[in-house]
Amino acid sequence: MKLTRTLLIASAAAALLASCGEKNADAGASTAASVSTDVLSNGMTALETYELRHEAMEEIGDAFKSIADATRSSNPDLAVVRAAADTVADKAPQVGEWFPVGSSAASGVDTDALDTIWERPEEFADAVVQFENAAPKLQAAAQSGDMSAVGDAFKEVGASCKNCHETFRADDD
Amino acid sequence: MTTDRNHTLVTIFDPALRLFHWGAAVLIPVLWWTAENGHYDWHRRIGLTMLGLVIFRILWGFIGPATARFGEFVKGPGAILNYVQNLGRPYHPAAGHNPLGALSVIALIAVLAAQTSLGLFAVDVDGIESGPLSHLVSFDTGREAAELHETNFKILTVLIVLHLGAIAFYRFGLGANLIPSMITGKRRAKPEDEIVFPVMRFMVAAAIAVVAVMAIVL
Repeated sequence: MKLTRTLLIASAAAALLASCGEKNADAGASTAASVSTDVLSNGMTALETYELRHEAMEEIGDAFKSIADATRSSNPDLAVVRAAADTVADKAPQVGEWFPVGSSAASGVDTDALDTIWERPEEFADAVVQFENAAPKLQAAAQSGDMSAVGDAFKEVGASCKNCHETFRADDD
Repeated sequence: MTTDRNHTLVTIFDPALRLFHWGAAVLIPVLWWTAENGHYDWHRRIGLTMLGLVIFRILWGFIGPATARFGEFVKGPGAILNYVQNLGRPYHPAAGHNPLGALSVIALIAVLAAQTSLGLFAVDVDGIESGPLSHLVSFDTGREAAELHETNFKILTVLIVLHLGAIAFYRFGLGANLIPSMITGKRRAKPEDEIVFPVMRFMVAAAIAVVAVMAIVL
């Protein structure tokens, strides 16, 4: 913690100095530099944070697709469903840590995360909790092997994804 | 001039061709709306219907009546150039698609075929909603299909705007209203331009289209 704080202060100071010294320099260039050097509260840079959450979200999407495929299949592979549900349940408790202050689009990362995440932190936390609560149900349903239960739990988790993305992520489609 | 012979209303566009046309005209905006508002169950059902119509239209382009057949109405660059050079008032509409409009027809059908095919494999960013054949591809490939589905829709939109612009040009620039013949199938033309509806061939093309779509769903 102490190291993190020291680093934070140091990087803030560096950013300040940099901004003083680079008044006339290209603003885009200085953003690009800080995105991969300034350390956030999670001990990572904004770029590292973005890459971590982006890849993890894609893993969740990938896992979700395999469950969606299985719910439509007449002969679903339960091992695949269980592995996918495990992935979702493993990632769910981490989501809250993926959005530290300073990792918004303003930091320079190419993210679809909206500023509303940091403007309405309590609402965002509630939306994340909804996902955290739904994910273990999907995992339990997958373990039971009852595909209709998987289908129901899948819908609940899917609703939590949509609920959060509606307010806190830029429209993709 | 042959205008004196073009005084009778004859059927130049068969009912199946017109059904395809107006089906697309209604379904495309509905498909856009359902996707935009997240009604993917309906988007899939209507998209499959659109795919069936496109499959039918492509078959009809080979076994349908003359005005539906690609080999009949698609002309070479010379014929298109000649047509464009002679565009002017008074304008007498062709007994079917004209050589320039033929390009629009081909482009629209091709882009619609691509659009419905891409939709089969498309996967949304959350991995929740996906096309009926998306289980055959990976998440990443499904995402690429979805991106192309979106880009291709923009191309489709441009083609539709061009299509509507052309109709407006013929109407207000050349004084020819092309819309009624796509509704009634009839246009003033030579009696020998009258097309006959091939019922058996229609049954074959429609059956193939239905079976193809059923094969995708089941």
